[in-house]
Amino acid sequence: MKWEKIGKIFDPTEHKLANRCHEFAQSPQVLVFDNFVRIYFSTREKDKTGKFLSHISFIDMDKEFRKIVNVSSKTVIELGKLGCYDEHGIFPLNVLRDDNRILGYIGGWSRRVSVSVETSIGLAISQDNGLTFKRIGDGPVLSSTLNEPFLVGDPFVAIYNNKYYMWYIYGISWIYCKATLSRERIYKIGYAVSDDGINWNKANRQIISDKLNREECQALPSVIYHKDVYHMFFCYRQATDFRKNRERSYRIGYAYSEDIHNWIRDDENVGIDVSPNDWDSDMMCYPHIFKCNDNIYLLYNGNEFGRYGFGLALLEE
Amino acid sequence: MFKWKKLGRIFNPLDITDRPWLKEFAQAPSVLIFEDFIRVYFSCRPHRDENGQYISYSAYVDLNRNNLFEIVDISKQPIMKLGGPGTFDEFGTYPTSVIRSEHGVMAFYGGWTRCESVPFNVGIGMAISHDNGISFSKSGNGPVLSYTPDEPFILSGPKIRRFNSLWYLWYIAGRRWIWNDGKPEPVYKIRMACSNDMVNWIRAGRDLIANKLEVNECQASPDVFFYENRYHMFFCYRYSLNYRGKEKGYRIGYAFSDDLQNWTRDDSKAGIDISDKGWDSEMLAYPHVFGLDGCLYMLYLGNEVGRYGFGLAILKKYKSL
Repeated sequence: MKWEKIGKIFDPTEHKLANRCHEFAQSPQVLVFDNFVRIYFSTREKDKTGKFLSHISFIDMDKEFRKIVNVSSKTVIELGKLGCYDEHGIFPLNVLRDDNRILGYIGGWSRRVSVSVETSIGLAISQDNGLTFKRIGDGPVLSSTLNEPFLVGDPFVAIYNNKYYMWYIYGISWIYCKATLSRERIYKIGYAVSDDGINWNKANRQIISDKLNREECQALPSVIYHKDVYHMFFCYRQATDFRKNRERSYRIGYAYSEDIHNWIRDDENVGIDVSPNDWDSDMMCYPHIFKCNDNIYLLYNGNEFGRYGFGLALLEE
Repeated sequence: MFKWKKLGRIFNPLDITDRPWLKEFAQAPSVLIFEDFIRVYFSCRPHRDENGQYISYSAYVDLNRNNLFEIVDISKQPIMKLGGPGTFDEFGTYPTSVIRSEHGVMAFYGGWTRCESVPFNVGIGMAISHDNGISFSKSGNGPVLSYTPDEPFILSGPKIRRFNSLWYLWYIAGRRWIWNDGKPEPVYKIRMACSNDMVNWIRAGRDLIANKLEVNECQASPDVFFYENRYHMFFCYRYSLNYRGKEKGYRIGYAFSDDLQNWTRDDSKAGIDISDKGWDSEMLAYPHVFGLDGCLYMLYLGNEVGRYGFGLAILKKYKSL
């Protein structure tokens, strides 16, 4: 693959966002309309304890990605209720069309005491072209199980041959990091299949092999079917010292599959990497791949996990 | 209807002095019957930690089958370890329900984690014992029954049973957290699921027991058995708030069913209530009914939900409805 970087297309600090959010536009997710492209993202407010809450917002862009034509000014989806899996944030909201409705898969975050966070995946549905979403219930559709004990998150759902496929991540351990005196999480990419988008059967296995080491963290899978092959973009990093250390932080990885079940990791052919001295020079993360006007694009976040927005690349070959 | 005769307290955790992990509480008794003794599993706690918080373990006490008031053994250590960092059972295993299977003795338990906005969450775990229930190893680091859209948190109080070649799990599911004096309190209801293999569960997806006290009534310990051609469930229930005293604390409720699916609540047939004085004068909670040598017994908790242990009652009279 070969990508042409178009550059950063959205900086949240240059716009007024709902829910008192002013920084971060993470994990962009696309819904293509006839005349525009809607890009959902997770942005943050600080609560009264000084901790972040992640809210969903969106912008609409023209289909050549030259101009922002609309910035959502209202709440797209409320955070979860007290004690629920998505009480403290939604990251990401993965959206797709399913007949005349739009499904929104919620990466829900809630805070813990011995570790920082727990996550699960929920479902919300929009009947108004994606302006607002309403949950099907207070709890998740995909959560921890015997061998995926925590941190089930980062949903990406696609429908092929009337079956729903979800790629997601699950935690395998929280390791103690001496440098930060805190626990850091390790997670891997898995997948599940469903007939209705609600009841899921997990494959219960890691589908992307490790490249760095056993503690490699893999996140945010995004899949597209193109020229008879399934292509997956994701991001990966070292388990510790990844926030400030450029050498250990997120990069984009790539894998392909011919049968949708078995994947071959092939980062050599990802065709995109960090730039020198730019908004995406320290890290690249949270890729989202999609088609628009017969082009294939990649949205992604750069330095500081998307604190100052996201950028776009166009597939050249 | 049932008529129970209280036989008295069987086990008081305050009598145990040589186990630092067994200092307070003996909650949620559950029985495994052996040839010469019955093993009563329960959950207990060491003293509060420096932050004033409890963890809970599960353990057992063995009672002489011919004299249930004679303790013949107490587990030397908890029957299973707490979970690792970030797991659902990092801070407690309570309650535990056990049953024999072709693979060994199976345990289903509530695993406790600590949250920031609410004090805790609970998921249901599974473990297996190959030494007749002395020690259990977990079937995975995660829960066997986790949250769903309409069972969003607090899956707890599992009771594993086998009827008609199927495994049944009765349990409770949290409905909502409500604020009371700046403190969140959970509301939970009785639910059920069934399975062929104990790993994949099909949930009924509805509350089984009608509310009696209020919409936010909390229901727990759904204990089901088959007796005289009918399924019976004893459980406990309380008000959602200010439930730590006599007036609004736990009482024992009763429901019956002919098909295991549809339950008719009729607490007037429970046949057991709080005593005038003593260790069970303020509340009755966590009933467990078992048959032994031609008699039907009920284990149950008293005041402060088992802080002072559990007691035993025997069925004196049963009249079918």
